[in-house]
Amino acid sequence: MKSLLKEFEALRARFPAGFESSLVLPCLRRIQEERGYVADGDIEELAAFLGVPAIQVEEVLSFYTQFRRRPVGRWHLQVCRNVSCSMRGAEGLVGHLERRLGVAPGATTPDGRFTLSTVECLGSCGTAPALMLNDRYVENLTPESVDALLQELD
Amino acid sequence: MPEILINGQKFEAEAGQTVLEAARAAGIFVPTFCWHPQLSTAGNCRMCLVEVEGRGLDIACNMPVSAGMRVLTDSPEVRAHRRAILQFITLNHPVDCGICDKAGECSLQDYHYAYNGEASISAEPKVRSTKYYNLSSRILLDNERCILCLRCTRFTHEISKSMALGVESRGDVSVIRPVADRPLGDDPYSDNIVDLCPVGALQSRQFLHKTRVWYLEPTPSVCPGCARGCSVNIWHRKPEWHVKTLDPAQNQSIARVTPLENPAVNGPWICNKGRDLARIFERRRATEPMLQGSPVALETALERARELIGAARHPLALVSNWGSNEELDAFQRSLGAVFTAYVKSDSVPQPGERLEDELLIRADKNPNSAAARALYADAPARLPEGTDLVLVWGEGCDFGALPRGARLIFLNAYLAPENGHADVFLPTSVQTERDGHYTNFQGVISGFHACFAKPSGALDAEALFRSLAAPARVHA
Repeated sequence: MKSLLKEFEALRARFPAGFESSLVLPCLRRIQEERGYVADGDIEELAAFLGVPAIQVEEVLSFYTQFRRRPVGRWHLQVCRNVSCSMRGAEGLVGHLERRLGVAPGATTPDGRFTLSTVECLGSCGTAPALMLNDRYVENLTPESVDALLQELD
Repeated sequence: MPEILINGQKFEAEAGQTVLEAARAAGIFVPTFCWHPQLSTAGNCRMCLVEVEGRGLDIACNMPVSAGMRVLTDSPEVRAHRRAILQFITLNHPVDCGICDKAGECSLQDYHYAYNGEASISAEPKVRSTKYYNLSSRILLDNERCILCLRCTRFTHEISKSMALGVESRGDVSVIRPVADRPLGDDPYSDNIVDLCPVGALQSRQFLHKTRVWYLEPTPSVCPGCARGCSVNIWHRKPEWHVKTLDPAQNQSIARVTPLENPAVNGPWICNKGRDLARIFERRRATEPMLQGSPVALETALERARELIGAARHPLALVSNWGSNEELDAFQRSLGAVFTAYVKSDSVPQPGERLEDELLIRADKNPNSAAARALYADAPARLPEGTDLVLVWGEGCDFGALPRGARLIFLNAYLAPENGHADVFLPTSVQTERDGHYTNFQGVISGFHACFAKPSGALDAEALFRSLAAPARVHA
């Protein structure tokens, strides 16, 4: 987190005093971008830097499924499990991916290539079922298109 | 002053008020779970839904009034939605009222009977969660009963400022959790969250499975724990529910203490010390008058005391600042002319006790110092030499510092080794056994009432002072 402090200071200057808790989300996001995940020590450091209770950082981390508390594989597959995607077959897709990758949601393949996750709504109901592959959306999924996708990834 | 219509009736609302506040001010009840007048608006329970004609349904707690607004708090539409909200709120609630301490004073129970009354229409299995979760040495949490209104977290963030609670995770697996580095046990106001909880999720360990609340009734009282003098309710068994077969001491004991809302003194809160009044009042009691440790009849003890008072040249009294205004007045009227009187502090801060803060707690751990000091000065560190009689009223006296050779008359409610050393010992009543008033540090006078009978042998100090003032009989 240390390397980001200068950036966080600049961010803080843009917010009125007393709104430190509003900075939790953007700061966590930058930490995750830098490290790939949010480590336990980051929580304490960020809470101390912002002067907010650590529980406020924990609340944000546990609410947003997008935050990761552990390192992920090279390819992070985040499959939406909310209403629209479920109705269009997301549950079957998760089962399909589990079988193909040999890991349950939340786990990483032993070779470190893939991490499978299920997440809350990605806001892509119009193209359900959808998943996020790292920072990219992959939409209108079918078992066949998922297989094709896995073929492309090294 | 915007004029609004609630259920067809015109009311003057105050600018900046919410519809909920305006309705409550007008005496119209709108049910709420998460809203509390002293906490920020969370708007998460949706129970206070009202209909605004032309605008549809919205929550009253977060809706500012505007002129000409037409609000309906009980339209068919509102009733239908309340029923639906209650279905959602009880979706994962275990409905274990039969073994829940909150039953009988639970908002969820009351609203269910008032606004829904139907069994759950859900066929899904309920989400299981932690029960008897240890929040502190005083409070247990049942996450299955919790409806996530967040009153408790807001209390620790906004009122007690301990920041001791937060919410982890999201959706139906959200749970209230304590903060590792800020234990709830360090928050001297923590027990207020048990009262705040609109359901039975937060449970007082003291009160856990002790009794059903409908066997109890409250007696208004004043907490003697510090000079704030918070108004409290002391809960005890109703006379018609006195137990006959179990331990009858239950009929004479404090079941729990809760705040009695008093905007002039404590608002709706009290500190944890106020919850523990049983620790003060239910210590072992002195019930026998004694002369130098030998039990005697009351009249014998009084007569001996009158003799000592009559014979003394320089009598001195250490007056209790736990005495009520009435008792202090009785002392002043009956014995004020005889004794040189000083105020003694009955109680001093205990190790680990919070000394003082900005919310309620005061450094003076006595309830009536203000009234006592209005009559007498504080006792000097060294009492005047030549004093030949000391009357000590109440606890907290350093007997070693009394003038040597002086006779001692001691009035105390509790068993103590010093009782037997007094020339005359007289047992007194405690606050829960008599009516009276205390004057707090701000000069606010609050009254307390008797809820238990005096143990036989104990006397009210007020009566004692009057009988001590009667002239001693002359021995032939």
